Amino acid sequence: MIAMWSAVAALAVINLVFKGAGPAILGDHQFGARTQTALDALPAALLAGLIAVDLLGPHWDNADWTMLPGLATAGVARTRGLPHLACILAGVAVTAALRTLG
Amino acid sequence: MRTLRSFLARSPARSPARSPARSPADSRADRPVAGKPVNSWWAGLRVGLGLATGAFALAVTFGAFAVTHGWPAGLTILMSLFVFSGSAQFTLVTTLTSGGVGPAVAGAALMNLRFVPMAAATARSLRGGRWWRAVQGQAVVDGSWVSAQRADGTFDRDKMLAATLVQWPAWVLGTAIGALAVPSTSIIHTAGLDLVFPAFFLVLLLDSLSASSRLIPIALAAAAIAGVSCRFLPAGVALLLASLAALSVLWMPTPAPANRRTRPAGELAP
Repeated sequence: MIAMWSAVAALAVINLVFKGAGPAILGDHQFGARTQTALDALPAALLAGLIAVDLLGPHWDNADWTMLPGLATAGVARTRGLPHLACILAGVAVTAALRTLG
Repeated sequence: MRTLRSFLARSPARSPARSPARSPADSRADRPVAGKPVNSWWAGLRVGLGLATGAFALAVTFGAFAVTHGWPAGLTILMSLFVFSGSAQFTLVTTLTSGGVGPAVAGAALMNLRFVPMAAATARSLRGGRWWRAVQGQAVVDGSWVSAQRADGTFDRDKMLAATLVQWPAWVLGTAIGALAVPSTSIIHTAGLDLVFPAFFLVLLLDSLSASSRLIPIALAAAAIAGVSCRFLPAGVALLLASLAALSVLWMPTPAPANRRTRPAGELAP
């Protein structure tokens, strides 16, 4: 039990430092042009990575084909200009329907 | 496919934000809510609602997962309250069961290492003194950070704060329900709720790519790196490696200055 409490406390402090250090230290500091260019590209890379990791899971344990049609539906809905939430709900509905039918 | 192409072609080139060729109107477009904090908060709340839906579903799963792995419900809820990071929390619960405190904390910390550069990037968009900026930096979570980024590389602070403030209680509440009720995870699976996060990340990614089509190869490379990496490595490490794909932009030819309206990643469609 002590191990659990210690681990949670340590992780909470580490998280605080990770997120707080940059804003506290850097302040109004502006990155160089090359750094800023890379930072501008970071969201797209991170999002694409998150999608892959979410779909496949650790050791690909979460890989499930029914998520792909749902994801495609959400993507097409977005390209048609639907709001974010509607896109997600459409995707979830397709995946849920496939799982129910399967 | 044609639809996707036309969507991406809508505003194809997010040129370097500091391009001198941009008109004042473009600058205003990049900061659609600058000077209108209420709109920023409202936009953040709307983005946060979608993210919170996914966070809630995932949190219910996490709460049930932790309790079935021998964690007390109270501590599980406290962890969500103070750590607020799904991937790190799952890692901690999993690895503490099979290893010691040190490896478990190290593995979970590795998951969150990406927050160091992400939070640092927000530094000049935050307000107040050193400590207050550090407090605001705690609002950096993946979805909020991405949706708050403006085309010029700065961040809409209010939007990020609002989006996170919606997700945080959803994450804690979902954990509490999962930890106390311990519902079957098959319910979440059957309802397709595990699709919420990837679907939300996809629509944010499409927004980002529609603003800058030159990021498409970077996104594809990042997806491939993450997909292969997570087969063998922890998810946090896979994400870190995927983030490195962003560095390839440094070797890309600089696009010609464009005088077009751009759309920041995560800006909501009308």
